[in-house]
Amino acid sequence: MKNTYKIFTLIASVLLVFSCSDLEEDRSGILSLDNLQSEGDLVAALTPVYKELQETFKNPHFMRTNTFGSDDITTWWGGNKAPLRVFDGFNYGNGENSEVNWLDWDWKGFWKVIYHANSLVEGLKTSTAPDETKNVVEGEARFLRAFAYFQLVREHGNMPIILDGMTPTGDEQRATVLENYQHIEADLLFAEANLPAPGATANVGRASAAAAKTVLADLYLTWAGWPVKDTSKNALAATKAKEVIDMGYHSLLPIDQLWLLENANSRESIFSVQFSKEEDQRNGHPAATSFHMARGWSDMYPELQFFNDFPEGPRKDATFVTDIPNRGFSGGKIITKTPATIPWAVSQRFHPMYGKFTASEDLTVVGRTMGYRPIEVYRYSEVLLIYAEAKAASGSMDASALEALNQVKRRAAGLDPNTADALVDATSATVNDIVTEKGWELAAEHKRWFDLIRTETLEDAISRRDPSEQVPLVRQPTKAQYITPIPAEAIATSKLTQNPQGFRVQ
Amino acid sequence: MKHFKTIILLFITLLTCTNTLIAQNSVSGSVVDQDGQPIPGVTILDDNDQTNGTVTDFDGNFTISIPTDGTLNVSFIGYETQTIAVSGQTNFSITLEEGVSALDEVVITGYGSQVKKSDLTGSIASIGSEDFESQPLIRVDQALQARAAGVAVTQTSGAPGAGYKIRIRGANSITGNNNPLYVVDGLVVGNINNINASDISSMEVLKDASATAIYGNRGANGVVLITTKSGSKGKAKIQVDSFFGTSQVVQHIPVMTPAQFAEGVNLRDGVETISQARIAELRAGAGVNWQDYFFRTAPFSNVVVSASGGTEDVDYYVSANTYEAEATVINQDYSRLNLRANINAQLNDKLKIGINNFVSRSENTGARVNLATGIAWDMNTPPRDSNGDYNSAPLISGVGNGSPMPLLGPENNKVENISDQLITSVYANYNITDNITFNISAGIEKIDMTNSRYTSSEVNGVTEAVVRDQQGLRFQNTNRLTYKNDNPDHAFQADLVHEQQSFEMSFREATASNFFSNSTNFKELSLAGIQNTDSGISNEKLESFLARINYSLYDKYLFTASVRADGSSKFNKDNQWGTFPSGSIAWRISQEDFLRDHPTISSLKARASFGVTGSQAVSPFSTISIPGISTDNNYPFTGGVASIGVAPSTRMANPDLTWETTTQFNIGFDLGLWDSKALLSVDYYAKKTEDILLSRVLPEFVGPTSITQNAGEVENKGFDISLSTVLYDKDDLSISSDFNLSANKNKVLKLVDGIDTMVLGNTYYNNSFPVNPTRVEVGQPISTFRGYHFVGVYQTGNSDGGTPGHAKYQDLDGVDGITTNDIGNVGDGNPDYTWGWNLNVDYKDFNLNMVFEGAQGNDIYNFQRMRMMGLGSAQFHAVHADFNNSWSATNPSNTIPSGTQASRDANQWLSSQFLEDGSYTSLRSASLTYDLKDVLNDIGIEQLKVFVNAENLFIITDYSGFDPVSTASGNSDVDLGIDLNAFPISRSFSVGFNLTF
Repeated sequence: MKNTYKIFTLIASVLLVFSCSDLEEDRSGILSLDNLQSEGDLVAALTPVYKELQETFKNPHFMRTNTFGSDDITTWWGGNKAPLRVFDGFNYGNGENSEVNWLDWDWKGFWKVIYHANSLVEGLKTSTAPDETKNVVEGEARFLRAFAYFQLVREHGNMPIILDGMTPTGDEQRATVLENYQHIEADLLFAEANLPAPGATANVGRASAAAAKTVLADLYLTWAGWPVKDTSKNALAATKAKEVIDMGYHSLLPIDQLWLLENANSRESIFSVQFSKEEDQRNGHPAATSFHMARGWSDMYPELQFFNDFPEGPRKDATFVTDIPNRGFSGGKIITKTPATIPWAVSQRFHPMYGKFTASEDLTVVGRTMGYRPIEVYRYSEVLLIYAEAKAASGSMDASALEALNQVKRRAAGLDPNTADALVDATSATVNDIVTEKGWELAAEHKRWFDLIRTETLEDAISRRDPSEQVPLVRQPTKAQYITPIPAEAIATSKLTQNPQGFRVQ
Repeated sequence: MKHFKTIILLFITLLTCTNTLIAQNSVSGSVVDQDGQPIPGVTILDDNDQTNGTVTDFDGNFTISIPTDGTLNVSFIGYETQTIAVSGQTNFSITLEEGVSALDEVVITGYGSQVKKSDLTGSIASIGSEDFESQPLIRVDQALQARAAGVAVTQTSGAPGAGYKIRIRGANSITGNNNPLYVVDGLVVGNINNINASDISSMEVLKDASATAIYGNRGANGVVLITTKSGSKGKAKIQVDSFFGTSQVVQHIPVMTPAQFAEGVNLRDGVETISQARIAELRAGAGVNWQDYFFRTAPFSNVVVSASGGTEDVDYYVSANTYEAEATVINQDYSRLNLRANINAQLNDKLKIGINNFVSRSENTGARVNLATGIAWDMNTPPRDSNGDYNSAPLISGVGNGSPMPLLGPENNKVENISDQLITSVYANYNITDNITFNISAGIEKIDMTNSRYTSSEVNGVTEAVVRDQQGLRFQNTNRLTYKNDNPDHAFQADLVHEQQSFEMSFREATASNFFSNSTNFKELSLAGIQNTDSGISNEKLESFLARINYSLYDKYLFTASVRADGSSKFNKDNQWGTFPSGSIAWRISQEDFLRDHPTISSLKARASFGVTGSQAVSPFSTISIPGISTDNNYPFTGGVASIGVAPSTRMANPDLTWETTTQFNIGFDLGLWDSKALLSVDYYAKKTEDILLSRVLPEFVGPTSITQNAGEVENKGFDISLSTVLYDKDDLSISSDFNLSANKNKVLKLVDGIDTMVLGNTYYNNSFPVNPTRVEVGQPISTFRGYHFVGVYQTGNSDGGTPGHAKYQDLDGVDGITTNDIGNVGDGNPDYTWGWNLNVDYKDFNLNMVFEGAQGNDIYNFQRMRMMGLGSAQFHAVHADFNNSWSATNPSNTIPSGTQASRDANQWLSSQFLEDGSYTSLRSASLTYDLKDVLNDIGIEQLKVFVNAENLFIITDYSGFDPVSTASGNSDVDLGIDLNAFPISRSFSVGFNLTF
């Protein structure tokens, strides 16, 4: 029995010794981001910056909720489209409806782009990778950060400035629109100087110097218009656009080729968001722009007035679908019903659809129409039109600017863009003419809204709205509808002031 | 409170009762126990005159004057009271039989300690197997339901095998875990889902801080101690228990006829979406009521075989249990198998060892139909066409809602969830001296869960399989030294405990898509075109020291004090250790001379306790930020293969994170009346939880979108009342009742500085609501329902300028128009009180056991109905029968707005229009048992009982959904009481038997 006692004492003491095990977490399974060394490390940290842009862009109805007031798009009067109808019908302006669904989609997405970019730029400061590599990656991060801020400022107004090296607490206040333009400009100037020339890399999704110059041109054009209205920036816009033209890399595709899947990442594309069939990373545009009867979601389709005004020709044919596919779903597959198509005027939604997004659709992925085509963020035709408009707006309209405009018009007519054609070519153009042309050329590409508010023509455009549109117009828009609300949750969790009180230009 | 007053009044009346004395004859006698030992202090009363009495002396002898035709009443605590007719006798030899009075029951208080109920100082609810053995049970938590005051047990889902939500005295934490700690035979376990209810010998629920503080940092949410059965000396006992029966949902939700549905579609669309010709066909019997396809009569069966027994030195209990059940919802099946072996051996007079061994597997299979979208699916489209092929989409697109045909998923997808659990513990108990015991135990819990699912191309054209294998390993070692003296006047016990625990968790997940065939589903992932893997690992460690003393002075004044120190690896070095003290006192007033042997008051004890407990309910690695690595961060730079991305953390690091602490004060009394025929316990408690582990949303521009902070305070105050009574006990009939009532008031006192409200709950309904249906607000219970105040429907010619037929809401902010500023608090899901009542009637060989249960004053947000009214995201048209009563010019309803699209758009569906009273009273269980007592003795059968049982025979409620019990909120406390796609609870009938050899 004495032995038992001894054994017990022994066991007990052994266990008490064991107990002195340290109480630290084993964190060996967690990756650290503090030390970016190889180019591989840099790309791994850069990837999520782009990824977040893809996330934000892939579903147009989410990202574009607050710009549905634009005259080139409307939505279904039924279903779950209430948030889109709020903006299509201008039911906002004094802080109300800041909580509607999807309004925070672009807000969340673009801030995430900024966060990922800031973390990367900060990480680069201690990185031991070669300077050359670091500068390119920093250029891309700052390009994407600038683009994200540019979107946020144009939609929701002036933003708090959160850049690398800052440790935000949530108590930050909104800067002014002008201050935002300035740091966006600084980022783009850095990007322009450090990014490679277009076509220099096989990684077609990565930004080039041409992309940075294009966004700069767009920024200057915006800067010259509402709300800052510094018209001296028009000349800068023209300069930057001209630099892209003079690079000589980018060109226009035939209009009937433009929207095909295989012509993605062509020389017309300046910057686009990539998707992947191999990884099943899907672009939601075909589903968003197709009616339910075409196995889509009826989110976004043309307004009737816009469609009716759109000049006939090859570009109109490439832009819209007027015979709506009549499809069903059976046995795990999308099927075509009889008749195969129904004319738009008597179709399910009584509107045409945007064919530019359905041209690349893939009906074999899921029970809805889907796609993998990259989303064009900036196309060369926009650069040409920015150039023409900036020249016109700065009072220096010349032959080169007219040529830029006419290249777009010729291509729209199905002609060779570089061969003059008296029937198509304009001999003079006002800013208004060019903005209208840009509306046709870039219909539903998330450009029209910004052009309308920048040039303060939203009111005119909406006053012409077709009265048979089914989404009710709550009010005719005024300047109060130019800036959309900041999402309610962001207001509730921070010290930001909601629009219009918090909107400050300079 | 009313009950309480009545009892006090009754009590006073009885105390003041007096009778006149009359002349007596003297008789004498002696009282012994079953072993022939004399019992001193036995009360001998004249049954007809209870003021006339005496007690036995030290040798068990007594003398009393009593009429010759009188009756003696002989009673002693712990023994059955006897009444004996004098019938002229003058000398009596009386043998008292031991009776287990409720107060002599032993209560397990944790860390090896067992205390007589009468000696308890803390607040502990104790439930023995005899309390629930007449109810056919599957799960352990089922046995707790309606049986313990202060313990809210809610069946949130009607799926067989689904867990219950248990809250002990309310929810302390906001986003942290509020589940109680489960301790099975001394070993902390992760869950009790698989444990067989018939293996349970007793369950103790530790409620107040003096009881829970010994579990320190994990005791704040209360502790459930589960003791499994062990064998007892004697002949081997073999028992076979079985029951089987069928279940159905309690009720269906009323829907329109298909023709009415079609007319509603046309009304809403404003065009003839469904032709008149088709409507005529529907009227003639075409069309579908989807609920007919979703629900079924579901059989279930349960068999338990056990053997137990023991010799002088060794005892054993082994059991096997198999349970199989189909769910009332199609394609859902559940099965469970478990084995237990508990063996104890007394090796010599000092050393005892034992092992508890438990292994189980549970299996859930079948893809569940989505009741939210399914019931509201197109009633015009039958599931199959005339060829027997699926109608995968509505015959007319855009009718009903945008989901695939509801039977596609359940009939083609595969789901299999397997959970294996192994719990093994060994102990050795060594009596170092007569007073000092050393106990050492070690245990392992191993959990292995495999969740597999496969989405067939039939459903949406895509094929995808996900297989996730998750493993957990918990190790615990407890070393305890106990000193106990032998002095009855100064009974003293002290325990010193050292404990260490670790828990490791890891998972591996494989996702595969683009299968070229559906045939092998998740069983052959390599057939998939795209394959991804994910994995993770985490670990946590805990080390603790505990000291506890119990002291009893003259068996009148009882003291308990404990202090526990816990160190947790979840927090950084400086914040790792927490100390959790507690103390309690009790005064057994009935042991005082002025109450001793009182004819009415058999026991009275007052109790008070105070203590601090903690919670570390955050996941490991909560103090640091963790980079995001998953396919969600990969991007295809070339439009082809994606490059792997490492994203910055979505959570902000917080190195200062530390314990959440709960301080609890408890005061109560236990009163026994009429020889413990009525036992009343009343407790009042006040709990305050501080430094709550709160996951807080950060504004997007900060970067990380959340941070876990120690912020906020929550208070829970309330009463637990339980009353056990023997209502009748004479001849062949005995009726006993156990009633308990719990009232808890939960209130948020503080959130993060400068923030009075936080949105933390689930959004529900796929972002259908612009505003979250719940929020956490200072001054309110943790979960408060948000919404517009619905006040009716605008009528034709109204003077407010409202469109006739549109919903009318209260304009809270006074600014024209209904905006989100007009959203207010419309209710909450917390009941004012809950109650349970267990009524037991024995008549001859029959036993009737009924468990009633109910809740009062809780609201339910009925989003199921909202969706069925054709509102909310992606629901285009209505199916609910109420839609027939929608407002129209000829039907000026003031409760249901018009069914048009314009009215739908103007309708704020997050409104009190869909808030309902969830109060209910249910007959949770009713069992009738017949005991074929000695009938079968001859063929070696010791006992055979047969029974019939009904569960949820009735639920009395005004709630319009399936039932007021099941909920979409699951285990959450921040969004309580939301009904959407909840799994309805069932009504079931079963028959069964208990056979003992």
